Amino acid sequence: MNLTHARVWRGTMPVQYLYTAGVAGERFFQTLRRRGVLAVTRCAECQVTYLPPRLYCERCFADLSQAWAEVAPGGRVHTYTVVCEDQDGHPLDPPQVVAFVRIDGTDGGLIGRLLRVRLQDVRVEMPVDAVLAPPRRRRGRMDDIVGFAPRRALPRRRTP
Amino acid sequence: MSDRVAVVGAGEVPLRPLSPRQSYREMGFEAATRAYDDAGVTHQDIDSFVSVCEDFHEGTSITDEYTPDQLGAVLRPVHTVAGDGLQGVAAAVMLIRTGIADLVAVEAHCKTSNILAHEQVLTMALDPSYERLPGITPHFVAGMEMRRYLHETGAPEDAVAMVVVKNRRHALSNPVAAYGEVLSPDDVLASAAVCAPLREREISPPADGAVVLVLASEEAARRTPKPVWIRGVGWASDSPWLAARSWGQASYASLATQMAYQMAGIAKPDQEIRFAEVDDTYAYKELQHLEAAQLIPRADAARIVLEGGTRRGGRLPVNSSGGSLGMGYCFDATALYRTAAAVRQIRGEAGRAQVERAATTGTQRGLNQIEDCEL
Repeated sequence: MNLTHARVWRGTMPVQYLYTAGVAGERFFQTLRRRGVLAVTRCAECQVTYLPPRLYCERCFADLSQAWAEVAPGGRVHTYTVVCEDQDGHPLDPPQVVAFVRIDGTDGGLIGRLLRVRLQDVRVEMPVDAVLAPPRRRRGRMDDIVGFAPRRALPRRRTP
Repeated sequence: MSDRVAVVGAGEVPLRPLSPRQSYREMGFEAATRAYDDAGVTHQDIDSFVSVCEDFHEGTSITDEYTPDQLGAVLRPVHTVAGDGLQGVAAAVMLIRTGIADLVAVEAHCKTSNILAHEQVLTMALDPSYERLPGITPHFVAGMEMRRYLHETGAPEDAVAMVVVKNRRHALSNPVAAYGEVLSPDDVLASAAVCAPLREREISPPADGAVVLVLASEEAARRTPKPVWIRGVGWASDSPWLAARSWGQASYASLATQMAYQMAGIAKPDQEIRFAEVDDTYAYKELQHLEAAQLIPRADAARIVLEGGTRRGGRLPVNSSGGSLGMGYCFDATALYRTAAAVRQIRGEAGRAQVERAATTGTQRGLNQIEDCEL
Protein backbone atom coordinates (compact mmCIF):
# COMPACT_ATOMS: atom_id res chain seq x y z
CA MET A 1 0.00 0.00 0.00
CA ASN A 2 1.56 3.27 -1.08
CA LEU A 3 0.83 5.70 1.68
CA THR A 4 4.24 7.32 1.64
CA HIS A 5 2.90 10.61 0.32
CA ALA A 6 0.14 10.92 2.85
CA ARG A 7 0.19 11.63 6.54
CA VAL A 8 -1.32 8.63 8.25
CA TRP A 9 -1.51 7.51 11.84
CA ARG A 10 -0.86 3.81 12.27
CA GLY A 11 -2.55 2.19 15.19
CA THR A 12 -3.62 -1.02 16.80
CA MET A 13 -6.74 -1.43 18.88
CA PRO A 14 -5.67 -3.10 22.12
CA VAL A 15 -9.21 -3.76 23.22
CA GLN A 16 -9.65 -6.27 26.00
CA TYR A 17 -13.01 -7.64 26.91
CA LEU A 18 -15.01 -10.44 28.44
CA TYR A 19 -17.92 -12.27 26.89
CA THR A 20 -20.29 -13.99 29.27
CA ALA A 21 -21.58 -17.36 28.10
CA GLY A 22 -24.70 -16.71 30.15
CA VAL A 23 -27.04 -19.05 31.97
CA ALA A 24 -27.78 -21.13 28.86
CA GLY A 25 -24.19 -21.19 27.67
CA GLU A 26 -22.88 -22.15 31.10
CA ARG A 27 -25.20 -25.14 31.26
CA PHE A 28 -24.35 -26.18 27.69
CA PHE A 29 -20.60 -26.08 28.21
CA GLN A 30 -20.66 -27.70 31.67
CA THR A 31 -22.86 -30.51 30.34
CA LEU A 32 -20.51 -30.99 27.41
CA ARG A 33 -17.46 -31.03 29.69
CA ARG A 34 -18.87 -33.38 32.30
CA ARG A 35 -20.95 -35.80 30.28
CA GLY A 36 -20.15 -35.33 26.61
CA VAL A 37 -23.72 -34.64 25.54
CA LEU A 38 -25.44 -31.52 24.26
CA ALA A 39 -27.83 -29.53 26.42
CA VAL A 40 -30.65 -27.98 24.38
CA THR A 41 -33.82 -26.05 25.10
CA ARG A 42 -37.21 -26.83 23.58
CA CYS A 43 -40.16 -24.60 22.91
CA ALA A 44 -43.19 -26.91 23.16
CA GLU A 45 -45.45 -24.24 21.67
CA CYS A 46 -43.40 -23.72 18.50
CA GLN A 47 -41.93 -27.23 18.45
CA VAL A 48 -38.47 -25.83 18.03
CA THR A 49 -35.39 -27.27 19.72
CA TYR A 50 -32.64 -24.71 20.16
CA LEU A 51 -29.01 -25.60 19.74
CA PRO A 52 -27.08 -23.55 20.83
CA PRO A 53 -29.60 -23.47 23.68
CA ARG A 54 -31.36 -20.25 24.46
CA LEU A 55 -33.33 -19.15 27.49
CA TYR A 56 -36.05 -17.74 25.28
CA CYS A 57 -37.84 -18.75 22.10
CA GLU A 58 -36.99 -16.37 19.26
CA ARG A 59 -40.39 -17.05 17.65
CA CYS A 60 -43.01 -16.85 20.44
CA PHE A 61 -40.69 -15.22 23.00
CA ALA A 62 -41.51 -17.83 25.67
CA ASP A 63 -39.22 -18.33 28.65
CA LEU A 64 -37.38 -21.62 28.10
CA SER A 65 -35.35 -21.64 31.30
CA GLN A 66 -37.23 -24.73 32.52
CA ALA A 67 -37.38 -26.48 29.14
CA TRP A 68 -34.06 -28.30 29.00
CA ALA A 69 -33.30 -31.59 27.28
CA GLU A 70 -30.19 -33.43 26.15
CA VAL A 71 -29.21 -34.89 22.79
CA ALA A 72 -26.31 -36.99 21.54
CA PRO A 73 -23.59 -35.07 19.68
CA GLY A 74 -24.30 -36.47 16.23
CA GLY A 75 -26.10 -35.28 13.14
CA ARG A 76 -25.75 -34.54 9.45
CA VAL A 77 -23.51 -32.23 7.46
CA HIS A 78 -25.97 -29.53 6.44
CA THR A 79 -23.31 -27.65 4.51
CA TYR A 80 -19.53 -27.39 4.46
CA THR A 81 -16.67 -25.41 3.01
CA VAL A 82 -13.00 -26.02 2.34
CA VAL A 83 -11.19 -23.18 4.06
CA CYS A 84 -8.00 -22.24 2.24
CA GLU A 85 -7.04 -19.02 4.03
CA ASP A 86 -6.20 -18.12 7.58
CA GLN A 87 -7.47 -15.07 9.42
CA ASP A 88 -4.89 -12.80 7.79
CA GLY A 89 -5.60 -14.01 4.26
CA HIS A 90 -2.51 -16.25 4.11
CA PRO A 91 -2.83 -19.75 2.60
CA LEU A 92 -3.80 -22.54 4.99
CA ASP A 93 -1.80 -25.66 4.38
CA PRO A 94 -3.47 -28.06 4.40
CA PRO A 95 -6.93 -26.56 3.87
CA GLN A 96 -9.50 -27.32 6.57
CA VAL A 97 -12.99 -28.65 6.00
CA VAL A 98 -15.48 -26.77 8.16
CA ALA A 99 -19.11 -27.84 8.38
CA PHE A 100 -22.37 -26.77 9.89
CA VAL A 101 -23.73 -29.97 11.42
CA ARG A 102 -27.48 -30.16 11.93
CA ILE A 103 -27.63 -32.10 15.21
CA ASP A 104 -30.23 -34.91 15.31
CA GLY A 105 -33.29 -34.09 17.39
CA THR A 106 -32.74 -30.32 17.12
CA ASP A 107 -33.55 -27.47 14.78
CA GLY A 108 -30.10 -26.01 15.25
CA GLY A 109 -26.59 -27.29 15.02
CA LEU A 110 -22.92 -26.64 15.56
CA ILE A 111 -20.01 -25.46 13.45
CA GLY A 112 -16.89 -27.61 13.52
CA ARG A 113 -14.07 -29.13 11.55
CA LEU A 114 -14.58 -32.39 9.67
CA LEU A 115 -12.04 -35.03 10.65
CA ARG A 116 -11.03 -38.48 9.43
CA VAL A 117 -12.48 -38.03 5.98
CA ARG A 118 -10.98 -37.43 2.56
CA LEU A 119 -12.18 -34.24 0.91
CA GLN A 120 -13.64 -36.06 -2.08
CA ASP A 121 -15.78 -38.19 0.25
CA VAL A 122 -17.50 -35.29 2.02
CA ARG A 123 -21.19 -34.97 1.13
CA VAL A 124 -24.01 -32.72 2.17
CA GLU A 125 -26.36 -34.70 4.51
CA MET A 126 -23.55 -37.10 5.43
CA PRO A 127 -24.08 -38.51 8.97
CA VAL A 128 -21.36 -37.50 11.42
CA ASP A 129 -20.63 -37.78 15.13
CA ALA A 130 -18.72 -35.40 17.33
CA VAL A 131 -15.17 -36.34 18.25
CA LEU A 132 -14.78 -35.22 21.85
CA ALA A 133 -11.61 -34.42 23.71
CA PRO A 134 -10.87 -36.95 26.48
CA PRO A 135 -12.88 -36.05 29.62
CA ARG A 136 -9.86 -34.83 31.58
CA ARG A 137 -8.82 -32.45 28.86
CA ARG A 138 -12.21 -30.85 28.42
CA ARG A 139 -12.43 -27.27 29.60
CA GLY A 140 -16.08 -26.44 29.00
CA ARG A 141 -15.46 -24.73 25.68
CA MET A 142 -16.42 -25.27 22.08
CA ASP A 143 -13.09 -26.96 21.38
CA ASP A 144 -14.09 -29.80 23.73
CA ILE A 145 -15.58 -30.94 20.44
CA VAL A 146 -12.42 -31.51 18.41
CA GLY A 147 -14.51 -31.91 15.26
CA PHE A 148 -16.96 -34.20 13.55
CA ALA A 149 -16.15 -37.48 11.81
CA PRO A 150 -18.20 -39.74 9.52
CA ARG A 151 -20.35 -42.00 11.68
CA ARG A 152 -18.85 -45.26 10.43
CA ALA A 153 -15.28 -44.07 10.92
CA LEU A 154 -15.59 -43.58 14.67
CA PRO A 155 -13.85 -46.09 16.92
CA ARG A 156 -16.31 -48.47 18.58
CA ARG A 157 -15.63 -47.38 22.13
CA ARG A 158 -16.96 -43.86 22.23
CA THR A 159 -15.94 -41.37 24.82
CA PRO A 160 -18.55 -41.48 27.56
CA MET B 1 -50.49 16.20 4.51
CA SER B 2 -49.06 13.91 1.82
CA ASP B 3 -47.03 10.97 3.03
CA ARG B 4 -45.02 10.64 -0.16
CA VAL B 5 -41.26 10.80 0.10
CA ALA B 6 -38.74 11.41 -2.67
CA VAL B 7 -35.01 11.24 -3.13
CA VAL B 8 -34.23 14.74 -4.34
CA GLY B 9 -30.46 14.74 -4.27
CA ALA B 10 -27.64 12.23 -4.59
CA GLY B 11 -23.93 12.81 -4.27
CA GLU B 12 -21.01 10.47 -3.97
CA VAL B 13 -17.26 10.37 -4.37
CA PRO B 14 -15.91 7.83 -6.87
CA LEU B 15 -15.19 4.49 -5.23
CA ARG B 16 -11.45 3.82 -5.15
CA PRO B 17 -9.25 1.05 -3.71
CA LEU B 18 -7.05 3.72 -2.10
CA SER B 19 -7.58 7.37 -1.26
CA PRO B 20 -4.48 8.34 0.66
CA ARG B 21 -4.87 12.08 0.41
CA GLN B 22 -8.42 12.52 1.63
CA SER B 23 -9.73 11.77 5.08
CA TYR B 24 -13.13 10.17 5.20
CA ARG B 25 -14.56 13.33 6.66
CA GLU B 26 -13.38 15.20 3.57
CA MET B 27 -14.90 12.49 1.40
CA GLY B 28 -18.17 12.97 3.27
CA PHE B 29 -17.97 16.72 2.76
CA GLU B 30 -17.46 16.22 -0.99
CA ALA B 31 -20.42 13.83 -1.22
CA ALA B 32 -22.63 16.16 0.83
CA THR B 33 -21.72 19.17 -1.29
CA ARG B 34 -22.67 17.28 -4.45
CA ALA B 35 -25.91 15.96 -2.99
CA TYR B 36 -27.07 19.35 -1.71
CA ASP B 37 -26.17 20.91 -5.05
CA ASP B 38 -28.05 18.15 -6.89
CA ALA B 39 -31.13 18.88 -4.79
CA GLY B 40 -30.75 22.64 -5.11
CA VAL B 41 -30.62 23.10 -1.32
CA THR B 42 -28.04 24.23 1.22
CA HIS B 43 -27.04 22.48 4.44
CA GLN B 44 -29.12 25.04 6.29
CA ASP B 45 -32.26 23.84 4.53
CA ILE B 46 -31.82 20.27 5.83
CA ASP B 47 -33.99 19.62 8.89
CA SER B 48 -32.39 16.42 10.15
CA PHE B 49 -29.34 14.27 9.41
CA VAL B 50 -28.74 10.51 9.56
CA SER B 51 -25.19 9.19 9.48
CA VAL B 52 -24.49 5.49 8.95
CA CYS B 53 -21.21 3.97 10.06
CA GLU B 54 -19.98 1.32 12.46
CA ASP B 55 -17.35 1.28 15.15
CA PHE B 56 -14.04 -0.54 14.75
CA HIS B 57 -14.07 -0.73 10.95
CA GLU B 58 -11.68 2.18 10.62
CA GLY B 59 -9.94 1.99 13.93
CA THR B 60 -12.30 4.36 15.67
CA SER B 61 -14.94 3.90 18.29
CA ILE B 62 -18.07 5.82 19.26
CA THR B 63 -18.73 6.70 15.62
CA ASP B 64 -20.95 9.66 16.39
CA GLU B 65 -17.83 11.45 17.66
CA TYR B 66 -16.70 11.51 14.01
CA THR B 67 -19.83 13.21 12.69
CA PRO B 68 -21.39 15.73 11.85
CA ASP B 69 -19.26 18.69 10.69
CA GLN B 70 -18.69 17.16 7.25
CA LEU B 71 -22.48 17.27 6.68
CA GLY B 72 -22.94 20.86 7.79
CA ALA B 73 -24.86 19.47 10.75
CA VAL B 74 -23.09 20.92 13.79
CA LEU B 75 -25.62 21.87 16.47
CA ARG B 76 -28.39 20.34 14.37
CA PRO B 77 -30.56 17.20 14.79
CA VAL B 78 -28.36 14.19 13.97
CA HIS B 79 -28.53 10.52 14.70
CA THR B 80 -26.20 7.72 13.75
CA VAL B 81 -27.20 4.26 12.59
CA ALA B 82 -24.83 1.33 13.06
CA GLY B 83 -26.27 -0.78 10.27
CA ASP B 84 -26.86 -0.82 6.56
CA GLY B 85 -27.12 2.46 4.66
CA LEU B 86 -30.64 1.53 3.62
CA GLN B 87 -31.65 1.51 7.27
CA GLY B 88 -30.57 5.14 7.24
CA VAL B 89 -32.90 5.71 4.28
CA ALA B 90 -35.72 3.99 6.17
CA ALA B 91 -35.06 6.22 9.18
CA ALA B 92 -35.24 9.29 6.93
CA VAL B 93 -38.53 8.11 5.41
CA MET B 94 -39.96 7.76 8.91
CA LEU B 95 -38.73 11.20 9.96
CA ILE B 96 -40.49 12.70 6.96
CA ARG B 97 -43.70 10.67 7.13
CA THR B 98 -44.13 11.45 10.80
CA GLY B 99 -43.87 15.15 10.00
CA ILE B 100 -40.73 15.71 12.05
CA ALA B 101 -38.70 16.84 9.05
CA ASP B 102 -39.24 17.95 5.46
CA LEU B 103 -35.68 17.52 4.24
CA VAL B 104 -33.36 14.81 5.59
CA ALA B 105 -29.77 14.04 4.57
CA VAL B 106 -28.61 10.43 4.84
CA GLU B 107 -24.88 9.84 4.82
CA ALA B 108 -22.76 6.70 4.82
CA HIS B 109 -19.05 6.25 4.33
CA CYS B 110 -16.30 3.75 4.74
CA LYS B 111 -12.63 4.21 4.10
CA THR B 112 -11.87 0.55 3.63
CA SER B 113 -8.20 1.16 2.88
CA ASN B 114 -7.83 2.28 6.48
CA ILE B 115 -8.87 -1.19 7.62
CA LEU B 116 -5.65 -3.13 7.85
CA ALA B 117 -7.16 -6.26 9.43
CA HIS B 118 -10.62 -6.59 7.95
CA GLU B 119 -10.88 -10.30 8.66
CA GLN B 120 -10.19 -9.67 12.33
CA VAL B 121 -13.05 -7.20 12.53
CA LEU B 122 -15.34 -9.62 10.68
CA THR B 123 -14.41 -12.44 13.02
CA MET B 124 -15.50 -10.34 15.99
CA ALA B 125 -18.98 -10.27 14.46
CA LEU B 126 -19.29 -14.01 15.19
CA ASP B 127 -20.44 -15.25 18.60
CA PRO B 128 -17.25 -15.98 20.55
CA SER B 129 -18.55 -18.97 22.46
CA TYR B 130 -20.07 -21.01 19.61
CA GLU B 131 -19.23 -19.57 16.21
CA ARG B 132 -15.62 -18.37 16.13
CA LEU B 133 -13.11 -20.87 14.86
CA PRO B 134 -9.54 -19.82 15.56
CA GLY B 135 -7.10 -19.35 12.72
CA ILE B 136 -9.42 -19.34 9.72
CA THR B 137 -10.86 -16.59 7.56
CA PRO B 138 -14.37 -15.49 8.56
CA HIS B 139 -15.42 -15.87 4.90
CA PHE B 140 -16.02 -19.52 5.86
CA VAL B 141 -19.60 -18.53 6.68
CA ALA B 142 -20.16 -17.42 3.07
CA GLY B 143 -18.44 -20.56 1.76
CA MET B 144 -20.90 -22.73 3.68
CA GLU B 145 -23.88 -20.64 2.63
CA MET B 146 -22.85 -20.80 -1.02
CA ARG B 147 -22.47 -24.60 -0.85
CA ARG B 148 -25.96 -25.03 0.60
CA TYR B 149 -27.49 -22.62 -1.92
CA LEU B 150 -25.95 -24.52 -4.84
CA HIS B 151 -27.04 -27.83 -3.26
CA GLU B 152 -30.66 -26.76 -2.81
CA THR B 153 -31.11 -25.10 -6.20
CA GLY B 154 -28.82 -27.20 -8.38
CA ALA B 155 -27.33 -23.95 -9.71
CA PRO B 156 -23.99 -24.55 -11.42
CA GLU B 157 -20.87 -22.67 -10.35
CA ASP B 158 -20.77 -21.24 -13.89
CA ALA B 159 -23.80 -19.13 -13.03
CA VAL B 160 -22.05 -17.67 -10.00
CA ALA B 161 -19.03 -16.89 -12.16
CA MET B 162 -21.32 -15.25 -14.73
CA VAL B 163 -22.60 -12.84 -12.06
CA VAL B 164 -19.02 -11.67 -11.58
CA VAL B 165 -18.40 -11.37 -15.33
CA LYS B 166 -21.61 -9.37 -15.81
CA ASN B 167 -21.13 -7.00 -12.88
CA ARG B 168 -17.48 -6.29 -13.64
CA ARG B 169 -18.43 -5.52 -17.22
CA HIS B 170 -21.34 -3.31 -16.16
CA ALA B 171 -18.91 -1.38 -13.96
CA LEU B 172 -16.93 -0.28 -17.02
CA SER B 173 -19.83 2.04 -17.90
CA ASN B 174 -20.11 3.52 -14.43
CA PRO B 175 -17.66 6.36 -13.75
CA VAL B 176 -17.79 5.91 -9.96
CA ALA B 177 -17.02 2.16 -10.10
CA ALA B 178 -13.55 0.99 -9.09
CA TYR B 179 -13.36 -2.50 -10.57
CA GLY B 180 -14.65 -2.43 -14.13
CA GLU B 181 -13.01 -5.22 -16.10
CA VAL B 182 -13.63 -7.61 -18.96
CA LEU B 183 -13.39 -11.13 -17.59
CA SER B 184 -14.41 -14.53 -18.88
CA PRO B 185 -16.19 -17.10 -16.68
CA ASP B 186 -12.99 -19.13 -16.82
CA ASP B 187 -11.02 -16.24 -15.32
CA VAL B 188 -13.40 -16.29 -12.37
CA LEU B 189 -13.41 -20.07 -12.02
CA ALA B 190 -9.61 -20.11 -12.18
CA SER B 191 -9.24 -17.66 -9.29
CA ALA B 192 -8.04 -19.10 -6.00
CA ALA B 193 -10.48 -20.87 -3.69
CA VAL B 194 -10.89 -18.89 -0.48
CA CYS B 195 -13.51 -21.09 1.17
CA ALA B 196 -14.50 -23.57 -1.53
CA PRO B 197 -16.73 -23.37 -3.43
CA LEU B 198 -16.29 -19.61 -2.87
CA ARG B 199 -13.48 -18.12 -4.96
CA GLU B 200 -11.47 -14.96 -4.66
CA ARG B 201 -13.12 -13.20 -7.61
CA GLU B 202 -16.57 -14.03 -6.24
CA ILE B 203 -15.95 -11.80 -3.21
CA SER B 204 -16.52 -8.07 -3.68
CA PRO B 205 -13.21 -6.22 -3.44
CA PRO B 206 -13.14 -3.34 -0.93
CA ALA B 207 -13.25 0.30 -1.98
CA ASP B 208 -13.26 3.67 -0.20
CA GLY B 209 -16.28 5.89 -0.55
CA ALA B 210 -18.85 8.27 0.85
CA VAL B 211 -22.44 8.89 -0.26
CA VAL B 212 -25.06 11.43 0.72
CA LEU B 213 -28.72 11.31 -0.28
CA VAL B 214 -31.27 14.04 0.35
CA LEU B 215 -34.83 12.90 1.00
CA ALA B 216 -37.83 15.19 0.98
CA SER B 217 -41.52 15.36 1.78
CA GLU B 218 -43.80 15.84 -1.20
CA GLU B 219 -44.16 19.53 -0.46
CA ALA B 220 -40.41 20.06 -0.26
CA ALA B 221 -39.74 17.74 -3.21
CA ARG B 222 -41.97 19.88 -5.44
CA ARG B 223 -39.48 22.71 -5.02
CA THR B 224 -36.55 20.58 -6.21
CA PRO B 225 -35.62 19.90 -9.84
CA LYS B 226 -35.47 16.11 -10.04
CA PRO B 227 -37.45 14.18 -7.41
CA VAL B 228 -37.51 10.38 -7.58
CA TRP B 229 -40.34 8.96 -5.49
CA ILE B 230 -39.81 6.17 -2.99
CA ARG B 231 -42.77 3.86 -3.40
CA GLY B 232 -41.93 1.37 -0.71
CA VAL B 233 -39.34 0.48 1.87
CA GLY B 234 -38.90 -2.70 3.86
CA TRP B 235 -36.32 -4.24 6.07
CA ALA B 236 -35.87 -7.38 8.13
CA SER B 237 -33.11 -8.86 10.25
CA ASP B 238 -32.50 -12.59 10.30
CA SER B 239 -31.68 -14.46 13.50
CA PRO B 240 -28.24 -13.43 14.74
CA TRP B 241 -27.46 -17.12 15.38
CA LEU B 242 -25.88 -18.91 12.44
CA ALA B 243 -27.50 -22.14 13.66
CA ALA B 244 -30.98 -20.64 13.38
CA ARG B 245 -30.70 -19.13 9.89
CA SER B 246 -31.55 -20.73 6.60
CA TRP B 247 -28.27 -21.56 4.85
CA GLY B 248 -29.84 -21.93 1.41
CA GLN B 249 -32.38 -19.12 1.17
CA ALA B 250 -32.28 -15.41 1.95
CA SER B 251 -35.38 -15.39 4.18
CA TYR B 252 -34.62 -11.87 5.43
CA ALA B 253 -34.68 -10.53 1.85
CA SER B 254 -38.02 -12.23 1.12
CA LEU B 255 -39.59 -10.52 4.11
CA ALA B 256 -37.97 -7.14 3.41
CA THR B 257 -39.10 -7.10 -0.21
CA GLN B 258 -42.62 -8.26 0.67
CA MET B 259 -42.88 -5.32 3.07
CA ALA B 260 -41.66 -2.90 0.39
CA TYR B 261 -43.90 -4.36 -2.33
CA GLN B 262 -46.93 -4.14 -0.09
CA MET B 263 -46.28 -0.48 0.64
CA ALA B 264 -45.71 0.19 -3.06
CA GLY B 265 -48.75 -1.80 -4.19
CA ILE B 266 -46.68 -4.14 -6.30
CA ALA B 267 -48.46 -7.45 -6.82
CA LYS B 268 -46.29 -9.02 -9.50
CA PRO B 269 -42.72 -7.91 -8.94
CA ASP B 270 -41.32 -9.99 -11.80
CA GLN B 271 -43.57 -8.12 -14.23
CA GLU B 272 -43.64 -4.67 -12.67
CA ILE B 273 -40.00 -4.08 -11.71
CA ARG B 274 -37.97 -2.68 -14.59
CA PHE B 275 -34.47 -3.07 -13.15
CA ALA B 276 -32.94 -4.07 -9.85
CA GLU B 277 -29.96 -3.29 -7.69
CA VAL B 278 -29.50 -6.18 -5.27
CA ASP B 279 -26.78 -7.12 -2.85
CA ASP B 280 -23.90 -9.06 -4.40
CA THR B 281 -21.32 -8.84 -1.63
CA TYR B 282 -20.59 -12.43 -2.59
CA ALA B 283 -21.54 -13.36 -6.17
CA TYR B 284 -23.95 -16.17 -5.20
CA LYS B 285 -25.90 -13.69 -3.06
CA GLU B 286 -27.15 -11.96 -6.21
CA LEU B 287 -28.82 -15.18 -7.35
CA GLN B 288 -30.18 -15.88 -3.88
CA HIS B 289 -31.53 -12.35 -3.53
CA LEU B 290 -33.19 -12.30 -6.95
CA GLU B 291 -35.13 -15.40 -5.94
CA ALA B 292 -35.95 -14.02 -2.50
CA ALA B 293 -37.23 -10.80 -4.07
CA GLN B 294 -39.52 -12.84 -6.35
CA LEU B 295 -37.93 -11.27 -9.40
CA ILE B 296 -37.07 -14.71 -10.72
CA PRO B 297 -38.76 -18.02 -9.83
CA ARG B 298 -36.86 -19.99 -7.22
CA ALA B 299 -34.05 -22.09 -8.68
CA ASP B 300 -34.34 -20.30 -12.04
CA ALA B 301 -31.88 -17.52 -11.26
CA ALA B 302 -28.90 -19.49 -12.53
CA ARG B 303 -30.46 -20.27 -15.88
CA ILE B 304 -31.63 -16.71 -16.46
CA VAL B 305 -28.22 -15.27 -15.55
CA LEU B 306 -26.46 -17.73 -17.86
CA GLU B 307 -28.81 -16.77 -20.70
CA GLY B 308 -27.97 -13.09 -20.25
CA GLY B 309 -31.39 -12.09 -18.91
CA THR B 310 -29.89 -9.93 -16.16
CA ARG B 311 -27.45 -8.01 -18.36
CA ARG B 312 -28.03 -4.34 -19.00
CA GLY B 313 -29.85 -5.13 -22.23
CA GLY B 314 -31.66 -8.18 -20.84
CA ARG B 315 -35.22 -8.73 -19.71
CA LEU B 316 -34.42 -7.70 -16.13
CA PRO B 317 -31.20 -5.69 -15.85
CA VAL B 318 -29.63 -6.45 -12.46
CA ASN B 319 -26.88 -4.35 -10.94
CA SER B 320 -26.30 -2.28 -14.03
CA SER B 321 -24.20 -0.07 -11.74
CA GLY B 322 -21.69 -2.90 -11.51
CA GLY B 323 -22.90 -3.96 -8.08
CA SER B 324 -20.45 -4.43 -5.25
CA LEU B 325 -18.43 -6.80 -7.39
CA GLY B 326 -17.84 -4.11 -9.98
CA MET B 327 -18.10 -0.87 -7.99
CA GLY B 328 -16.29 -2.15 -4.92
CA TYR B 329 -17.57 -3.04 -1.50
CA CYS B 330 -17.86 -0.07 0.81
CA PHE B 331 -19.46 -1.71 3.86
CA ASP B 332 -22.53 0.17 5.06
CA ALA B 333 -22.24 2.77 2.29
CA THR B 334 -22.55 0.11 -0.42
CA ALA B 335 -26.33 0.16 -0.52
CA LEU B 336 -26.44 3.94 -0.80
CA TYR B 337 -24.17 3.85 -3.85
CA ARG B 338 -26.73 1.50 -5.34
CA THR B 339 -29.60 3.79 -4.35
CA ALA B 340 -27.80 6.72 -5.98
CA ALA B 341 -27.31 4.59 -9.12
CA ALA B 342 -31.03 3.68 -9.14
CA VAL B 343 -31.97 7.36 -8.78
CA ARG B 344 -29.85 8.21 -11.84
CA GLN B 345 -31.42 5.34 -13.79
CA ILE B 346 -34.93 6.57 -13.07
CA ARG B 347 -33.96 10.12 -13.99
CA GLY B 348 -32.42 8.86 -17.22
CA GLU B 349 -29.04 10.25 -16.17
CA ALA B 350 -27.06 7.02 -16.00
CA GLY B 351 -25.12 7.73 -19.19
CA ARG B 352 -23.55 4.62 -20.67
CA ALA B 353 -24.95 2.59 -17.77
CA GLN B 354 -28.51 3.61 -18.65
CA VAL B 355 -31.10 0.83 -18.70
CA GLU B 356 -33.52 1.45 -21.54
CA ARG B 357 -36.93 1.23 -19.99
CA ALA B 358 -36.00 2.58 -16.57
CA ALA B 359 -36.73 6.17 -17.43
CA THR B 360 -39.80 5.81 -19.62
CA THR B 361 -42.84 7.66 -18.41
CA GLY B 362 -45.57 5.84 -16.56
CA THR B 363 -44.60 3.35 -13.93
CA GLN B 364 -41.06 4.04 -12.88
CA ARG B 365 -40.16 1.25 -10.62
CA GLY B 366 -36.69 0.29 -9.64
CA LEU B 367 -35.89 -2.00 -6.83
CA ASN B 368 -33.24 -1.32 -4.31
CA GLN B 369 -33.29 -4.16 -1.94
CA ILE B 370 -33.01 -3.57 1.74
CA GLU B 371 -31.77 -6.36 3.84
CA ASP B 372 -29.68 -7.25 6.77
CA CYS B 373 -26.87 -9.59 6.06
CA GLU B 374 -23.83 -9.09 8.20
CA LEU B 375 -21.47 -11.47 6.49
